[in-house]
Amino acid sequence: MRLTYRRTPRSTCFSFATSVATSGILLALGLFTGAARADDLGADLAAQHAQLEERAHNSDSAEAQAALAAFLDRHRLPGSRDAFLRWASVERDPARKQLALRQAVLEDALDRKTEQLDDDLKAYRAAGGSDFTGRARRPEDVSVYSATTIPGPLSSFARMAALSPDSAPEDLLLALARNVVTNGYQAVAANEALEPTEYLKLLIRYVGQARELEQMAGTAHKIVIPSCDSGETGELLKVLGYRMRGSCGTDVVLETVNPTKAFLTVDSGFPLSQLEQDLRANRRFELPYAPTSIPVLYTADYWLGAVGRDKGNFIDAFLSEPSICRLYLGLAKLDRPTAAAMRKQATAQKLKIYAHVLDFYGSMFEIRNGAAVVPGSPKAWESLAGASPSNGAAFYEKLLATDDGWLASYYDAIARLNPNSPTTRYLLEPERLKRFYYALKGKVTTPGPARPVFRSSTDLMLLTTGLRIDPSGQPHIPGNLEVWRTLFIKHPHGKYDGKLTRAASSWRTPDDVLEALFALCRKVVENEPLKIFLALNDVDRRRPNPMSPALAQRLASGYRSGASQYQIFAGLPLLSEESIDKYLDLEPALNGIHDNLNRADSVGSVQALVGMFQILCRQGAIAPSDQDRTFSALLDPFLKARQPPEIFDAARAGVNLLFTAAHAPGAGSSQDRMVEVLAGLPVVNATPPSPGENFVRIFDAQRLIPLDTLFAVADRLGKSTGDTKAIANLNSQLARFEDVQSLRSSLSSAEKNLLALGYWSERHIEQERKLNLDSLVKNADKKDARGAMLPFLRDTLVGLLYVYYAPPGAQILLTNPLFVRNHDFIGTQSLPMAWHATELAGSGWPASAGGRLMGSLGGLPYILAEAEQNFLTPTREQALIWGDLVPQMIVNVTVPRWRNITPEQMRYVALQLRRGRDLVVAAAIDPAVEDQVLASLGHFAPPARVEHVADKLAAGDVLAAMSEILPSELFELGGDPALRTVAPDLASAEIAQLEATGGASLDRAHISLLFGTPKPTLTHSFQPELLSLRTFPTLMGYSSRILAETWESNNLYYAALADELGVPASQLDSYVPAWTRATIENIFATHLEDWPALLRSLHTTGDAIRQQQSGQRAVSNTGSF
Amino acid sequence: MDVSKLRNLAQPIGLLRAIGRGAHPLTMAALAVIVAGGGFTWLRAQQDQGTTTFRVKVDMVVLGFQVLDARGHYVNGLKPKDFRVTEDGIPQKPATFAEGSRPPVQVLENGETRPIPRTETASGGPGAVDAKIDPFSGTNVFVLFDTSNYMYRGFVYASDAITDFIRGLDRADSIAVYTYSRNLNRAVLLNRDRGEAIAGLRKAVAGDDSALYNCLLLTLRDAAKVTGRKVVIVFSNGPDNASMVAPDDVRAVAEDEGIPIYVISTNEVNKDPVSSGIFRRISGATGGKSYFAKTWQKQVEAFENIREDLGNSYTVTYYPQPNPNEGFRKITIEILTEEGKKYRVRARPGYRPQRGF
Repeated sequence: MRLTYRRTPRSTCFSFATSVATSGILLALGLFTGAARADDLGADLAAQHAQLEERAHNSDSAEAQAALAAFLDRHRLPGSRDAFLRWASVERDPARKQLALRQAVLEDALDRKTEQLDDDLKAYRAAGGSDFTGRARRPEDVSVYSATTIPGPLSSFARMAALSPDSAPEDLLLALARNVVTNGYQAVAANEALEPTEYLKLLIRYVGQARELEQMAGTAHKIVIPSCDSGETGELLKVLGYRMRGSCGTDVVLETVNPTKAFLTVDSGFPLSQLEQDLRANRRFELPYAPTSIPVLYTADYWLGAVGRDKGNFIDAFLSEPSICRLYLGLAKLDRPTAAAMRKQATAQKLKIYAHVLDFYGSMFEIRNGAAVVPGSPKAWESLAGASPSNGAAFYEKLLATDDGWLASYYDAIARLNPNSPTTRYLLEPERLKRFYYALKGKVTTPGPARPVFRSSTDLMLLTTGLRIDPSGQPHIPGNLEVWRTLFIKHPHGKYDGKLTRAASSWRTPDDVLEALFALCRKVVENEPLKIFLALNDVDRRRPNPMSPALAQRLASGYRSGASQYQIFAGLPLLSEESIDKYLDLEPALNGIHDNLNRADSVGSVQALVGMFQILCRQGAIAPSDQDRTFSALLDPFLKARQPPEIFDAARAGVNLLFTAAHAPGAGSSQDRMVEVLAGLPVVNATPPSPGENFVRIFDAQRLIPLDTLFAVADRLGKSTGDTKAIANLNSQLARFEDVQSLRSSLSSAEKNLLALGYWSERHIEQERKLNLDSLVKNADKKDARGAMLPFLRDTLVGLLYVYYAPPGAQILLTNPLFVRNHDFIGTQSLPMAWHATELAGSGWPASAGGRLMGSLGGLPYILAEAEQNFLTPTREQALIWGDLVPQMIVNVTVPRWRNITPEQMRYVALQLRRGRDLVVAAAIDPAVEDQVLASLGHFAPPARVEHVADKLAAGDVLAAMSEILPSELFELGGDPALRTVAPDLASAEIAQLEATGGASLDRAHISLLFGTPKPTLTHSFQPELLSLRTFPTLMGYSSRILAETWESNNLYYAALADELGVPASQLDSYVPAWTRATIENIFATHLEDWPALLRSLHTTGDAIRQQQSGQRAVSNTGSF
Repeated sequence: MDVSKLRNLAQPIGLLRAIGRGAHPLTMAALAVIVAGGGFTWLRAQQDQGTTTFRVKVDMVVLGFQVLDARGHYVNGLKPKDFRVTEDGIPQKPATFAEGSRPPVQVLENGETRPIPRTETASGGPGAVDAKIDPFSGTNVFVLFDTSNYMYRGFVYASDAITDFIRGLDRADSIAVYTYSRNLNRAVLLNRDRGEAIAGLRKAVAGDDSALYNCLLLTLRDAAKVTGRKVVIVFSNGPDNASMVAPDDVRAVAEDEGIPIYVISTNEVNKDPVSSGIFRRISGATGGKSYFAKTWQKQVEAFENIREDLGNSYTVTYYPQPNPNEGFRKITIEILTEEGKKYRVRARPGYRPQRGF
């Protein structure tokens, strides 16, 4: 039997899935995933499918029918509903029959097949199904939007206003408002007045040009140029800023005459080329040109009224009054009942005064039956705000107005927390709630946290999110109270808050410390203790025993110089305090090496070895019981080594220790063994390329010397025996290295002066270039070869780490052969960098040697990703891919690596997402389930988004509802214990089966480690995990970096996608980097908080990958999980 | 082909113990010749002290050059037997020869030529040429247009000049239009439809930062995937404030891939001497040329010169003779005719052979 292998087409719920975009995406994917491999996977699935079809066809057994139905359902192939019905028809077990019919009902509801749904519901009930008792209420006319117009076509306006046309229509003005607020105005020097930026000036000019074109289009809404020599031609060209060169006919060329207007014409995407072609052919040119109607929240008059204008054009007022934009942003974030109550409570003009606070901190406001739904005690909030939550609108109005937004920011930070967490319960104790707020607001409350363009309450959100409560119910204080008292009183570095310093001597309880930390949240400077607290809290978070006061004291006092190293301790909770002390001893010990180059070699080598140790621990290659011993033994020789040969031996011993601890393969060269333990055995010419192959390719591109060559040269020369082969190898490598240097020799003196090569990097490279191998061979008995090989060994070790964390594409590492060697571990005399955070330096043309990294290797994964991000090519012009988010998305790939994931674990994650999806589908046809699902969703989504989902479910549009829910939220819904009472479906049945047999490998900790993401800012660690937090907004000082760290959807989505497509768990590390790259390149966002754009790009990429595998022309299904 | 000679081409690098999919390492030890996209790759693996070592890969070399007389005029009509190409002094045997945008011809042992059958297909990927295009005719022209803030004022004039250039290209040539600011945008993929190229160009969107060398690198990577003769034309104001790769590393990629870079800078040469120097160096070392054209008229003129250059180029391909040099291989082109002694050849100075598996 020949099968046509096609996927189930489902109607798209996004307007952005244009064929143009998809074709571009497919091309991009083709580059990375390899069509051949996708075909292989498709062929494998098709073979399985054929087998199951044949079995089901030839047998009436329920098992055969069930297997086929489950297979079709899992891989989203057509005919699954019919297969479920066939299964039900032959199934004798009543419970299984019910299960099959229930799945058919879910399929119908997902596909909005009403008639089938009615039939299948009857059959389901007849089989004893007792849920799905009633269809959800029909949608009421709940829209709070009316229409307004913008001049010209939406596509042009969107280009000029830098809006993603993929946004939902209701979100267009929202996105425009955000752009106007953040990019539209700038302060004039020495003046508080704001003036429009170039962005806004161009947009306003465009609006003028569009109106002129509209006039030309007339009432017919069509610009018509009958022929080249008609009068309208000149008129149109004048508006466009062009003129004709040459006489009518094929000689006609359009050329710029008014560059200002011509710029608008090109930038807005006017079809100039089409006009030119028609003029050259003397053809009639026609262009429909009409104003575009777009939804506006409430009415245009409401917003005009907010600025005291009785009449006028809405869009002009919107662009010229940022305060309207701010209010628009604030009110659009509220759900309908809350917004209605607020608008009833205060006029638009009054609300406008607090619009900035509402914009940043209003999204968690919720009014039900007139009362505010507040976290914790209403009375406590009443005492803080001066109004009772029983009158919701009055309460929130007071909240907005109090202390210039500090109270609202406090409310927001607490309302975002999981209501069931111990931290929330602790913070909501009424007296404590008030005490901490008073500490936060201080005496001088201006400027408030909503005054800047970004929220300045960053530390408050980090503190409430990161705070841990001990089993005693008290907050966890790393070390003990005395440590913090000492820190505040003696403050070894700089100046701390004087009042807190004075108060510290009387601290008695953890609450006292917390009170001080809340007080520091208000500050943007002098708040180092808060940062120390958060870092130490994370170091302590997973340790079997809390850290001792002595260690806490040492970490606190050494924070300023060594904070970037604390991620090692946070990521390796099994390290003993002795080992941590040993690591901290390294800095003073290595400072004892007076020769800067030797010191850099020692620092680089030991940090690289520790970096590899972290990788191996993370991958499970080094057993927990061996970790502390290995770590300690790794450091020992470096603490003593002073001379280059000793440092060489220390590094070599470290390599051998890692091999032993990781149970590296016994045979083969050291280099090959290292590659294998880090990245896996290279598979040559695999499609997509295997991680091992990529590893070897990049390592070679850096002209690094393999470990064995270095060891062999050092050994043989040391024994004066010589090893011609090793020396020949080394010579060959050095020749390639020298060849790279010759590229730099052609620099002009002006360029050499500007060359941004670090001084110590240059010295290091020069030292390697000057190696005279012949002399070394001749004087082997006098010179120690180990010392001469040390700089090369350092580069090789550092290079292994660089290569491991190489982002997908790795253009820098493949192009700049000196990138690793350029790493500057020294810095300057005034700013030594050896133990500081990794930094990026030298980007831009004056750095003719290219960008390079400096500092420790502590933040290497993130900084490498940051350096590489601009090599990604957006699939859509004008796409906003923002700089703080993309590196984090890359780190989500380069750190986890999915080694050792079992098929059961991948399947388990896929099933959790599937269960989540089925619950959402069930919610559309069962009000009781809907209430439960929406309540659960409310732990992650703000009230307005929950309301959107509810609206779409009520309308029966499950796919649209799904488009509002993140994959990470579906995962949480699938695993929510509160939803286990909902009737079982196929996914939950298999989950239960897996949990019964999978044991600990499927527990939350394992799944979190394998499919989570690293959060170097939120948890001070690169250890991947799932925190299941609400998606953060942008925050001052971090931009969208923390938003990116709370975005946990990608890896979960990819796991489910791999399960659906039949990608083996063992090959995730080959596929997911390419998928991630495609996802990033598909982001088309408008502003820094446009996380829906991330979700869209994820779905677009998933659809394109499915399409690539199935060869189908148009597939779009976002409801697959 | 004498397989045994190939063993001398490479030295062990001791990096990889590899298992090919479905192939035992020992099977891989046999020499494989892969014909792909007009070039071919030699793969070798050998057992060496317990380590399987892979060596790679000497592709067909595509060498484009112009011959100029003492007055700087192009010299046309030369034949394959009028040239001698050497690499590090080792004479090379031309495989094909072409002049201007004419289709290449096969060069026989005796120096005579004959037409070659065209059965090649284009490779895939973002930079791939339309499969319908005969990759051996004409030139594949990649225009890289600076749409960063630095070009804000001259954006529309530059767009006009590039439009004129596209219109004036030989019919056999293919064109791709890429734009860049902080990231690369592949506005129009390689094709021969001038209307499509102009429409794509006319829809370019102004951007922000300038990452010229990052984006030039990506353009070269795309161009390298395309079979046949190719050039990259950079139209830029000069500054770069966002690249992570150095101009000379990008230049090395162009040299190695045999892709001449032409630069039209809208800045005056003395306004930014560092950028100007870099432009001269990367164009000169790749067999291209740089122009400093602040006004629209000069930009049109520069494009006209490039067009002439393309129309008056010779292209020779050859498979390099065994050469132990893994580093930079110097290419020399000699004109063997008597008049040729007065001629000047403009070509890339050499290349580094690629490494792989």
